[in-house]
Amino acid sequence: MAEKHINARGLQCPGPIVQIFKEAQNCAAGDILCVEVTDQGFKKDIAAWCKKTKNELLSLEEEGGVIKARIKKG
Amino acid sequence: MKSEKVLIIGGVAAGTKAAAKAKRENPDLKIVVLTKDRHVSYAGCGLPYYLGDVIKEEKELLVKMPEDFLIDYDIEVLTEMEALKIMPEEKTVAVKSLRTGDVQTFAYDKLVLAAGASPFVPPAPGKELGNIVTVRTVTEATAIKNLINTRGIKDAVVVGGGMIGLEVAENLTLKGINTTVVELAPHVLPPYDADVALYVQKYLAEKGIRVLTGTAVKAFEDNGQGDVGVVITEAGPLKADLAVLAVGVRPNVDLAKECGIALGATGAIAVNELMETNIKDIYAVGDCAENTNLITGRPVWYPMGSTANKTGRVAAINLAGTGHKDTMKGVLGTSILKLFELNMGKTGLSERDARALGYDVETVLVTTQDKAHYYPGSHLIVTKLIVDRKTHLVLGGQVYGEGVVDKPVDILVTAISFGATVEQLTKLDLAYAPPFSMAMSSTIVAAHVMINKLQGRFTGVSPLDLKEKMEAGAVLVDVRSDEEFFLRSIPGSINIPLRMLSERAGELDRSKEIIINCKLGLRSYMASLKLKRLGFEKVSILDGGLTAYPFETE
Repeated sequence: MAEKHINARGLQCPGPIVQIFKEAQNCAAGDILCVEVTDQGFKKDIAAWCKKTKNELLSLEEEGGVIKARIKKG
Repeated sequence: MKSEKVLIIGGVAAGTKAAAKAKRENPDLKIVVLTKDRHVSYAGCGLPYYLGDVIKEEKELLVKMPEDFLIDYDIEVLTEMEALKIMPEEKTVAVKSLRTGDVQTFAYDKLVLAAGASPFVPPAPGKELGNIVTVRTVTEATAIKNLINTRGIKDAVVVGGGMIGLEVAENLTLKGINTTVVELAPHVLPPYDADVALYVQKYLAEKGIRVLTGTAVKAFEDNGQGDVGVVITEAGPLKADLAVLAVGVRPNVDLAKECGIALGATGAIAVNELMETNIKDIYAVGDCAENTNLITGRPVWYPMGSTANKTGRVAAINLAGTGHKDTMKGVLGTSILKLFELNMGKTGLSERDARALGYDVETVLVTTQDKAHYYPGSHLIVTKLIVDRKTHLVLGGQVYGEGVVDKPVDILVTAISFGATVEQLTKLDLAYAPPFSMAMSSTIVAAHVMINKLQGRFTGVSPLDLKEKMEAGAVLVDVRSDEEFFLRSIPGSINIPLRMLSERAGELDRSKEIIINCKLGLRSYMASLKLKRLGFEKVSILDGGLTAYPFETE
């Protein structure tokens, strides 16, 4: 299973979530997406996205203002 | 200089500030501070955080001990001493020792009333039951803290959704206590405008605090052991093993009133700019004294620790007999608080106040970053600006969000204090580097949006009016990307991403009012300009965008 890293730091409007949507389309079920963002709104967005799209949020961490999420494609 | 006797009644913020400053002004003064409490010079504003263990021990709250004043400043502080009566003709005060019951007479040359304010206790039946508390003194807070830590409080009701009530609710929640806030007014934080306060309520609900507004407390019921068990409200009974009364404070003026000291229109002690009362050689400072609103020139009463310190200092300079004078011109009603990660502050007139005073008011709600959006740790904040359409003078502002709000509030404080117009706000040379601010800071962006609105470049719709407008046929068009819309949207809105607006404008009914929405506001503004070029006439923008929207989304 592939692991894909996305640097979405510095994105605001429309925000990193749009990039995740696009990247996820190219992933197979079970693939892992690792995303780094600086948009604080992402924390809420990614939780909502995983819930609505049946992907799994494996972890969500914040360190020094950078939010790191690991998502398993469902 | 003369060795006059200065007697100060009250020993928290204003009283101890007056004492210390007077002694520095004139070391020959003989200064005595009397206080009813066991503690002096304590951090009253820190009490909610003490409950939540942000502040662990009582001693951290105590700025100075009574004996420190004698050693460090040569100021005598007498605790557990209650002033019973002032006799202005003889220049004496009768004082009772709460420890021994003895009554003594203290003479003064100058008297400073720093009697503070006391929590108002609503006259509901059962209010004398156990575990119904107020949070004003260290002694009270320690008792509550002991109760929480030893008795295992599960459910708490906080009566009053003002600053103290909400800070207490936050800290009880952090202690794992299931907390409900009951507020009589239509929204929490009554000095704030409804659009801001409802946003705070939505946030509190997300944090697990139940908020009941427009709701009166009718009674407190016994749990069978003499303690509160249930709080009866207009919205039904609430289980509670702790009830915190935080419905506001009243100035302590009885002592002043009885000896002929005049009260002002607000019920607090009337003072002039020198902090003098109507009786010679008697000053009033801190929470027991009235203030003047700098914008309206009207008497107001804002019991704030920040003001208390200033008024104490002003009185000290004026009574010290050095020939120097200082004045307190007034205040703006500035306040700030933190609830979990949400910060909010206000200054000047609220929109509601300004309208009630007859101003021709314009407002904007502007969502921006607090610092460069790419710099880690930047957050969104919302700035509400309130401006007089006639003069363009800034009348007030409210700033809220998870980012830095104290700086923008303080910029507005400064601007309003010096009579700035919104145009002047846009050219302030504010400090900028990515870790601190945006190149165009939130305040400057908000001022630009206000000018665009004043010049008719766009029409705004308050989120408070949106529902009514939509019921009357207005169409809410969300111009964010379809991915963003999929995640969260306002019920009843339709999605046409900004990039597709020109080609899809034909889908919109030109006869209807079109209200445009995006995440912050910039895309909405660009969309409104685009639609107007396409010949749409009734186009407006949702103020503050989805970020400031204070109601449920889907």
